[in-house]
Amino acid sequence: MADTNPPRVPIGPGRRGGPPGAVTVEKAQNVKGTAKRLLIYLGKSKRLLFILLGVVLIVTLLGLLAPVLQQRAIDVIAACVQTNLPLQVERLLRLLVLLLISYLLSSFCTFIQGIAAANLSQNTVRTMRDDLFIRLSRLPIKYLDTHPHGDIMSRMTNDVESISNTVSTSIASLISGSLTVVGTLIIMLIYSPLLTLISMITVLLTVLVTTRMSRYMRKYFPKQQKYLGILNGHIEEMVIGYRTVVAFGREEEAEHQFGSINKKLKKYGIRAQALGGTMGPLMMFISNLGFLIIAAFGGWFAIEGWISVGTIAAFIQYSKQFTRPLHELANQYAQIQTAIAGAERVFAVMDEKSEIDEGNVPHTAEDVIGNIDFSHIHFSYKEGEPVLKDFDLQVKPGETVALVGATGSGKTTVVNLLTRFYEVDQGVIRLDDIPIREIKKDELRKSIAIVLQDTVIFADTIANNIRYGREDATDEAVVRAARLARVDRFAERMNEGYDTMLTEGGGNLSQGQRQLIAIARAVLADPKILILDEATSNIDTRTEVYIQEAMIALMKGRTSLIIAHRLSTIRDADRIIVLEDGKIAEAGSHEQLLAQKGCYYRLYQNQFAGFAT
Amino acid sequence: MKLIQFIKPYRKLFILVPLCMVVEIMAELFQPMLMSRIVDEGVLAYNLPLVIRTGLLMLGLALIGGLGGATAGVIGSVASQSFGKDLRDATFHKVMQLSFEQTDRFTTGSLVTRLTNDITAVQDLSNTVTRGMVRTLFQFFGGIVMMLSLNVRFGLVLVCSLPIQILLIVLLLWKASPLYLLVQTRLDRVNSVVQENVTGARVVKAYVREDYETSRFRKANLALTDTNLKVQKLMATLNPILMVVMNISVIAIILIGGFQTEARQMQVGQVMAAITYITQILMSMMSVGMMFQNFTRAYASASRIREVLNTDPVIRSGERQLTSGRGVIEFRDVSFHYPGFQNRPVLQDISFTVKSGETVAILGATGSGKTSLLQLIPRFYDVNTGSITLDGADIRSYTLESLRSHIGFVLQKSELFSGTVRENLLWGNSDATDEEIRHAAQIAQAEEFILGFHSGYDSVISEKGASLSGGQKQRLAIARAILKKPDILVFDDATSALDLGTEAKLRAALREEMKNVTILMVAQRIASIRHADRILVLENGEIAASGTHDELLRTSEIYRDIYDSQMREEVTENG
Repeated sequence: MADTNPPRVPIGPGRRGGPPGAVTVEKAQNVKGTAKRLLIYLGKSKRLLFILLGVVLIVTLLGLLAPVLQQRAIDVIAACVQTNLPLQVERLLRLLVLLLISYLLSSFCTFIQGIAAANLSQNTVRTMRDDLFIRLSRLPIKYLDTHPHGDIMSRMTNDVESISNTVSTSIASLISGSLTVVGTLIIMLIYSPLLTLISMITVLLTVLVTTRMSRYMRKYFPKQQKYLGILNGHIEEMVIGYRTVVAFGREEEAEHQFGSINKKLKKYGIRAQALGGTMGPLMMFISNLGFLIIAAFGGWFAIEGWISVGTIAAFIQYSKQFTRPLHELANQYAQIQTAIAGAERVFAVMDEKSEIDEGNVPHTAEDVIGNIDFSHIHFSYKEGEPVLKDFDLQVKPGETVALVGATGSGKTTVVNLLTRFYEVDQGVIRLDDIPIREIKKDELRKSIAIVLQDTVIFADTIANNIRYGREDATDEAVVRAARLARVDRFAERMNEGYDTMLTEGGGNLSQGQRQLIAIARAVLADPKILILDEATSNIDTRTEVYIQEAMIALMKGRTSLIIAHRLSTIRDADRIIVLEDGKIAEAGSHEQLLAQKGCYYRLYQNQFAGFAT
Repeated sequence: MKLIQFIKPYRKLFILVPLCMVVEIMAELFQPMLMSRIVDEGVLAYNLPLVIRTGLLMLGLALIGGLGGATAGVIGSVASQSFGKDLRDATFHKVMQLSFEQTDRFTTGSLVTRLTNDITAVQDLSNTVTRGMVRTLFQFFGGIVMMLSLNVRFGLVLVCSLPIQILLIVLLLWKASPLYLLVQTRLDRVNSVVQENVTGARVVKAYVREDYETSRFRKANLALTDTNLKVQKLMATLNPILMVVMNISVIAIILIGGFQTEARQMQVGQVMAAITYITQILMSMMSVGMMFQNFTRAYASASRIREVLNTDPVIRSGERQLTSGRGVIEFRDVSFHYPGFQNRPVLQDISFTVKSGETVAILGATGSGKTSLLQLIPRFYDVNTGSITLDGADIRSYTLESLRSHIGFVLQKSELFSGTVRENLLWGNSDATDEEIRHAAQIAQAEEFILGFHSGYDSVISEKGASLSGGQKQRLAIARAILKKPDILVFDDATSALDLGTEAKLRAALREEMKNVTILMVAQRIASIRHADRILVLENGEIAASGTHDELLRTSEIYRDIYDSQMREEVTENG
């Protein structure tokens, strides 16, 4: 689906990365720095954050208060048993009313907390996703050409989603958790230092088990994720390339390979999940242990008269409150790990350098005349393998220049450089005598319309796909452009005409029809400079001639660059440039070049003489 | 086919899990009960030995419970991972059998999601979600039973609070479930905008539409986060209300407990235990909302997988093995339209014969049905009426495997796979020797540039061939097809990105090396096809003319038109 003749980044070993689309959950490299940046994102909604902090504080304090009131109430009841006196109803009721008030207040604050946390997490995630997208849309083409698309997609979706989930669940619980732990500890110490000390055994156990378990988890979870990533890569490749799979009868091999990855995934999946599955019961066991420690030791202490029965009740609640945040942390450990690793991947994209745009010469698309000058251009996609060597080319306003040459001779590169998809290594490209570096990128690109061989069709109507060339075009202008590019012939036969929805891959159109839509788009854009890069390769030549004639009329007074293999496409150009090995081998009109009997002549002979060579 | 069938082989394990969990939860449920005994019979009766005895009993129970839980965890993962693996294998197997009209209908993106995310969701359902539900259920009912067995009078509190709770939860689920679905569609929208921008970056940049795209994305993103926010707000509202009900219940228990204790109908420890139980019961209700969310998601995933599993390939394999290698093709009155487009016929009454070793070219306008015609031969799609025969028998009578193994098909869009150049070529014939690979690459005019790579045939092709030029990809795809040593070679406009010189060399090499192979080719350039034995001119899905280049020049106006569009000046110059 790459939208061009991709640049020839030399291939070789060493580029063997992960599988395409692999979602590997690596451990974060720089946990602290990443967490800090995440916090900065949260800090953007200061008001919400303060509200959240405020209510969490209240909820936590009330949470600490409630068991005290409960304990007093129980003690009132116990006193009536122990002393055989009648129940102090008034005292009991007073305590219960207090308890009710504290519960109601706490519930109300919990409500505010929930709303604030939801807003905070969704705000954060929305801002982050927006920022990431803006960054993505400003990344140089080079980045997209050299990074697996599946991986970029997964950062945008999976990684941000996992941050979202973690932020909404973990932030509030982390804050209230740490407050609760401190507060509970103080109250427990006030009630009974001895019982507190004993019940700390469970804390010790929790910490011990968590660190031990997480060491194993760190071993198996990434392995599980890795094989899941490899499997997903395989699925993507086989499903997207399914036609080729079928054409070569490779279904069984694909299944075989799938089966062997799947088996490995199962192996590590069982290990990782079994570990995760025992984590919960283990924590529950420790919590039960805490329960019995308090019941048994508390009972003993109560018999000795060191503490009251109500204290036992209160302690049971407090010890639960104390260990709960620890358990939550333990349960969310894997989730938090994944989120931080995800945040790191997201920030990595945000830290990529965006396209350079230092242009400040006021030369807008309307001002452009169309005088193009490549002077002494050197360029290579990979160091040591030059694609263009001392390339020189001047195109006059209104001139039509055709670039021909063997595949890989650097034709598409010329386009990549003029549109500044890539930057030259040496030399200067000038537009109307201004170095294109000094023209604002947006204005430069607005003055150029480009049609590529691999067309891009958006999941939208035919009309809107054409309108992509100029947003404010009227319906009449769209239809005019469609007529000119012969889109009308098939569009009007469709059930809903120009309002027919196209699928993202343009599945309901033939390759040639997709190219026609792309041409209509460029026609509508009405640019000063037109670039056709193999734009008609899948269109039959009669349609092409018709379009070309219309285009020639349209392109009068505009500059155009045409790359094509068909001589019929290029014959009418004012000048034909033959590229060979990154240099201009020949230049001139069709007749001149034929008369020269050089490489163009040979190309021409090939075409005309067919099998004769 | 029901997904439950995939559970069957592991049903023993899947039954064992809840059983182990019963042990775990029972052990938990008895803890507050025992605690109340410590208080009532131990502390208040000053009986230390009973405290110690009960304490040890609790320890034993905790151990048994922990063991039960851990066992459930381990067995659950073994069962669910095995189930997931089988399901994944079966679904992938199914996808690999689908006919193109079916993969077209599902769309590749959706098939990928079904095979990855959806299966993972169902697998999670089979383990964590189910375990959570079992736990919630047992805690709920177990808690009620334990509480009533403490003292039936506590039932009064339950009778009052439970209906309110249940009502609230039902209300929430009723409001939330459409939102969950909405979240999913909104997420899809965000994903598709990103996808379009990643793959279409050049067009977005060329037309300076970054701002437009950004605003499009913002809109999709806002819609998603808004819906998410609505769901979370619902949750944020429900939980505090449930908490109020729960807390009032606790107060009621203390109040009732107080009076009952005074009347010697109840004991203090029982009141304490009852508080623990009611908290447990109501907490389990609060997690129902969460459960439901997971469950709806997994259920949606399950039906999406079921849809794939229940799709039977419409193109069915025949019985006979195709063995002869003559490559004689005959189209008899073939008509074809794409499934679902009955009123838009693509091919009508097509009849022609291709002899063994003959080269037939097909020419025609954009959208005239050239690609469709070629795709009928390896049965990528089946004809609607008429028939196609190969070596005298209907292609539908051959097994798909043997039929396709005799055809080397080079698609319009050359798809390469991650791996080395060699691995990609071996797709044609996995047993090919190095000699054969090189020979195929030579014919396809690919050897020169392959050897130009750092590691030659062992160079790694990255990102679906993104590092190769269009012409290089096409030549690798052609070499791959040649390596198959087919009886029939089909080129679907597969040389469009080759420069003319290279294409001519390829034609010469094919003519030299593959004399007995029947060749069918679609191309746009007259030069590519003019030396074909026969040329068919397609116009609006019908054969408008056929013959050799010279014949057609004389007899067919359309052909002359096409020819003129490419050659008009040269004819006079060279004529």
